[in-house]
Amino acid sequence: MPSTVCTAKTSYKKLPGLLELTSTHLQWTQDGKKAPSVKVPHSEAASLFCSKEGAAQVRLKVALVGDDTGHNFTFTSPQPVALAEREKFKNELTNIIARNRNASATPAATAPGTPSASVRTSSVAPLGIPSPARPPVSRAASASSDSRGTPANDPTSDFRLRKKVLLSNAELAALHREMVMGGHISENEFWEGREHMILAQSAADNQKRGKPGQLVDPRPQTVDGEIKIVITPQLVHDIFEEYPVVAKAYNDNVPNKLNEAEFWKRYFQSKLFNAHRASIRSSATQHVVKDDPIFDKYLEKDDDDLEPRRLRDESVDIFIDLGATQEDHGESGNIKDVTMQAGKQRAVLPLIRKFNEHSERLLNTTLGEPATKRRRTDVAEGPGHYSQIDLEDLHDNQTSGGIVLNMQDRERYFGVRSSETSGQQPANQKLDFRSALHEAKLSLPDWSSSLGRLRLERKAGDDALNGMTQNVAARLEVKRTKHDISDNLFRQMTTCQTAANEFLRQFWLSIYPPVTDGQTLSAATPAQKAAKAGKMIDYLSRTHEKVGALVQTAQQEGVDPSRVQVAMKPVLDAVDNALEFWRRRSSKQAR
Amino acid sequence: MKFHIDDLPIIFPYDRIYPEQYAYMCDLKRTLDATGHCVLEMPSGTGKTVSLLSLIVSYQQFYPNKRKLIYCSRTVPEIEKALAELKRLMDYRMTCAETEEEKAKEQNFYGLGLTSRKNLCLHPEVSKEKKGRVVDARCRDLTNSAVCEKGRQNPGSVELCDWHENLGQMEPGNLIPPGIWTLADVLQYGRDKRVCPYFLVRRMMPFVDVIIYSFHYLLDPKVAEQVSREVSKDAIVVFDEAHNIDNVCIESLSIDLTRPMLDSAARSVGRLGEKIEEIKKTDASKLQDEYAKLVEGLQEASQDEDSFMANPVLPEDLLKEAIPGNIRKAEHFVAFLKRFVEYLKTRMRVLHVVAETPLSFLQHLKDITYIERRPLRFCAERLQSLVRTLELNRLDELSALQKVAGFATLVATYEKGFLLILEPFETDNATVPNPIFHLTCLDPAIAIKPVFERFSTVVITSGTISPLDMYPKMLQFTPVVQETYSMTLTRNSFLPLVITRGSDQVAISSRFEVRNDPAVVRNFGSILVEYSKIVPDGIVAFFPSYLYMESIVAAWNDMGILNEVWKHKLIFVETPDANETSIALENYRRACDNGRGAVLLSVARGKVSEGIDFDHNYGRAVIMFGVPYQYTESRILKARLEYLRDAYRIRESEFLGFDAMRTAAQCVGRVLRGKTDWGLMVFADKRFARADKRAKLPRWINQYITETASNLSTDMALTLSKLFMRTISQNPNENQTGISLWTLEDIEKAQAKQKALALEAQQQQDQHMDDAEDEYYGDGGLDDEILREIDLDV
Repeated sequence: MPSTVCTAKTSYKKLPGLLELTSTHLQWTQDGKKAPSVKVPHSEAASLFCSKEGAAQVRLKVALVGDDTGHNFTFTSPQPVALAEREKFKNELTNIIARNRNASATPAATAPGTPSASVRTSSVAPLGIPSPARPPVSRAASASSDSRGTPANDPTSDFRLRKKVLLSNAELAALHREMVMGGHISENEFWEGREHMILAQSAADNQKRGKPGQLVDPRPQTVDGEIKIVITPQLVHDIFEEYPVVAKAYNDNVPNKLNEAEFWKRYFQSKLFNAHRASIRSSATQHVVKDDPIFDKYLEKDDDDLEPRRLRDESVDIFIDLGATQEDHGESGNIKDVTMQAGKQRAVLPLIRKFNEHSERLLNTTLGEPATKRRRTDVAEGPGHYSQIDLEDLHDNQTSGGIVLNMQDRERYFGVRSSETSGQQPANQKLDFRSALHEAKLSLPDWSSSLGRLRLERKAGDDALNGMTQNVAARLEVKRTKHDISDNLFRQMTTCQTAANEFLRQFWLSIYPPVTDGQTLSAATPAQKAAKAGKMIDYLSRTHEKVGALVQTAQQEGVDPSRVQVAMKPVLDAVDNALEFWRRRSSKQAR
Repeated sequence: MKFHIDDLPIIFPYDRIYPEQYAYMCDLKRTLDATGHCVLEMPSGTGKTVSLLSLIVSYQQFYPNKRKLIYCSRTVPEIEKALAELKRLMDYRMTCAETEEEKAKEQNFYGLGLTSRKNLCLHPEVSKEKKGRVVDARCRDLTNSAVCEKGRQNPGSVELCDWHENLGQMEPGNLIPPGIWTLADVLQYGRDKRVCPYFLVRRMMPFVDVIIYSFHYLLDPKVAEQVSREVSKDAIVVFDEAHNIDNVCIESLSIDLTRPMLDSAARSVGRLGEKIEEIKKTDASKLQDEYAKLVEGLQEASQDEDSFMANPVLPEDLLKEAIPGNIRKAEHFVAFLKRFVEYLKTRMRVLHVVAETPLSFLQHLKDITYIERRPLRFCAERLQSLVRTLELNRLDELSALQKVAGFATLVATYEKGFLLILEPFETDNATVPNPIFHLTCLDPAIAIKPVFERFSTVVITSGTISPLDMYPKMLQFTPVVQETYSMTLTRNSFLPLVITRGSDQVAISSRFEVRNDPAVVRNFGSILVEYSKIVPDGIVAFFPSYLYMESIVAAWNDMGILNEVWKHKLIFVETPDANETSIALENYRRACDNGRGAVLLSVARGKVSEGIDFDHNYGRAVIMFGVPYQYTESRILKARLEYLRDAYRIRESEFLGFDAMRTAAQCVGRVLRGKTDWGLMVFADKRFARADKRAKLPRWINQYITETASNLSTDMALTLSKLFMRTISQNPNENQTGISLWTLEDIEKAQAKQKALALEAQQQQDQHMDDAEDEYYGDGGLDDEILREIDLDV
């Protein structure tokens, strides 16, 4: 039995248990069980993330080699204790991971990919150990909801998602309060038929957040009078991605020649860093920068020539090919004046190039590399080129619009008729045209006098006008009397109505269950459904009473009770309908 | 859609037409009928090119004397777009053709585009060359007639270009099937058939109905002589996007010399001398033949494809006489060149600025070196003859010498409208001399004069050529039609805004004194930041100059302003390298398509501002930071202004203002294509608020600048922009048809109305005829006048 290094009470996937670190494994055992349900050998631990200090829950995440999702543990002891426990685990695990990394053949291959806790301690001169913040897995990856839900991992039953939906929808929340918390229907019943909202929420949560656009530009901060650059694992990751040369340097030198902290310390003092900084002021600080035999090897010449150092011969769409214009005719004319000569400020050129490259890299992370080596003609032939010069509003949509109906067995419907008519059609057409013309001619003469004889009947006109006037008057009336129902009563009416609606919904849902698409909560048996319907009918039958009470309140408040009745009538009708349906059905069943 | 203007049937490749397109076509037809010149300004993005091509092709196909169309545009993308437009038009015409005969007629219609060898070369090695000049030179080495002859007689003795050889074996005039061929199409055809696209287009030029190429091929005498000489006089010449035509004219007659160029020229002279000595020993008869020819008179250019450097002066200014005796002998000419180069070198040693007229330069030259004006005039031609005689290769190495010869010929030919300026230092504060000898043409009318004289119809058109009367004044011609069209809109699809101050009420301006003031820089920056927050997809920002853009990008970065922009959009910046910028542009478009959104920072008058469209999602807002004035300290500009004042009575401030506003309008006009497209146009400078500045904007933009929108602070502008975007995103309820879109019926209605009005006018005129017979000279005058009025109303 391997010896236990440390233990702590934690929950894993919402189940309480005990987390233990032994000399060979990290393991977690659910309370009341004997065998550990999670057992990770030391050699598999790849990286480690912690929740922020001060966060509501004290969590620890261990990512495994080849599996970034890893395991999530929440320390369940009271905060201070939990923190101390986690700290202990973290220290131990950090060492283990560092050992793993060193042993691994390609240490840096994993380092840039998953910023590890082992990278976290380092900064310029006076080392301020940064808080081991729990960074997002990667900036490019989604803020995926790690499976903290129930082990079933069904989004529709995820409490968090439900809560989110309710929080973002006040009306629904009110209904939920009324129905579920009021004990009328159960939580699951409430959500039945509303799965789409949860799915939408979970989709929204799972949507990948793009990479933020900012350049990686670690700026020194003044902390306690000292100038420091605080490094987070995220920053390291970004630096490696933005400047592969730093990753290369890291690979080459850590940990053989330099240790982690020293590496970063020297990097931030090197010319290389200054070359990477997105500022042309850096040239001013050049003199304070020391020579560094290690980092200077990686230094490249400034890319500040008029032509970029890295020539790219990929051809571009000819519609935006500026080079072709430049070569279209021999150079002529006088040189441009000094303000119009591009690249006069050479110090800015590397910066500008960095912007373009950075933007391109960001694009490529989401879109992938552009189709390189396209031949000009390939692009030109495509419909894309016409669409670029097209004026779309000049097309007549009415004539071209419409989707062709694809019918099966078209012949059956049209074949006969067309074959019938095809024989006579030409003759028909001719005849039609002539006779139509003839008729039109006949009906036309004397049109002006008949137009003159046209009289509108007076009575009909007056009637129409009267009707309109009455309509307007009625509307005015409604508008005038609209707002004299007191807020309180109005709210009661609304609640009553939404509640009744919800009952109705539940009722009909149990009578006519929707086509299941595997997402419904409870695959209820017919008996359950019937029971539910009965319950709902019970509720619904009370609606009349409720409305009666409302009418009474209205009377007390001096509001015309008939208006309340009118307002509630549709609901009552619907309720009656349901009751009637239920009555008939149950009597049928009884028989 | 098919309709008639007068008796001319027009086929227009859409179901609807904008009223301004119709009016434009009417005016264009009037010009063609009158065989005169015209200036037409048509709002950007309202389908100018398609209307123009549609009318002219209809005209060509209808009347028996097929007038050729020479369509000139500014940039290769624009040329390609025009070709694509033409191709689609012809496809549409084919579907409209009713009889077989008509169909055949449409099928036999030729349309081609021409660009440089560099852009069209297929030779595996030559096309790899980066510089167009080198491609030209290497191509000539493989394709000139002397080499070809040698190669054909004795296969394998010299290297020839297969593509060119294959082309030679085809039947002339039938090198490519009829139809419209875009540049990409021609390239592909060349690849498939293994023939040279460049020479294919060049040799097909006499047979085509439409040729599309850039301004230089008609205006620059060095190129035009080779390419456009044989075009018949009744051709219709169109300069599209002609707002910069005066600059192209000036460029084509101006030359710069630098010290490295003179050094290179001197080396070339030396090499020429050696070569002559060599030839004298091996093949002396060659030189004697040449001498004999020169004595007899001008050597006829053997074959126009061969000529590697045509004369830099205009054809009519060429001397039609024998080359003077003192440079007829090759060795004499070389000595002559040597002396001239030496003279120029000594001039370069002067450390103060010199500005002089050609006459005074020639006088000084004569006093010092005894070089006369007359032989100098023949310099370019004589050099060409010599190079041909010596059968030299790799002419790109001689390019500096060619420039010097061109300089000599130009300076000796023109007295007026030119100025020589020697600038020993690049900037005023520079201490290391880097002398440049400018020979600058001040008068755009010189270069374009032969075009106006030779061709009966020249159409000058663009989205932005206000004020219209400026162009006839500068280019010295009389238009028969001169017209600007407003944009008919059922709802304002673009919103021009003038921001004069930041939210902190500090006035913003790119005036030299304040442009680097941190408050101004920050306010400019906050405009960009705020707009990048609220505008979807693409934003394009233009700066008045490269220098300013580069310094402000650095300043914004250090102020953390760009970091704010990065949060909302990607940033792309125009760089000095054209190819690099194209890639940035392509990525910019990807970002706009993807929905990520991006900001493109570029320069007015720069590479991006010409020929690239920012329509639809590629540009929802254009921000013009500052007024894009030219650099007024430039000596060349000063000289030009002075000349304009003296010769044409155009005041300096008037020209500068005009030039700045046409540039601004050009930048800003790129956001629109079609009337369903929308965009914001932001002019950020307090000087835009002045009425006289705005009056120089094209009418179609200016009419939509409301009084309130002409003097805004950043926050007010943002409010207006948000409001605008909210409204424009609604589905348009009203039907545009009949107002900003015409169907066939609408056209007929308008035509009926016109006819009625014309009839009425005719009757009135008849009544007045007796009183004022002398004042009218026929029906046409008044009719036109009235027609024009009507066009404006619709």
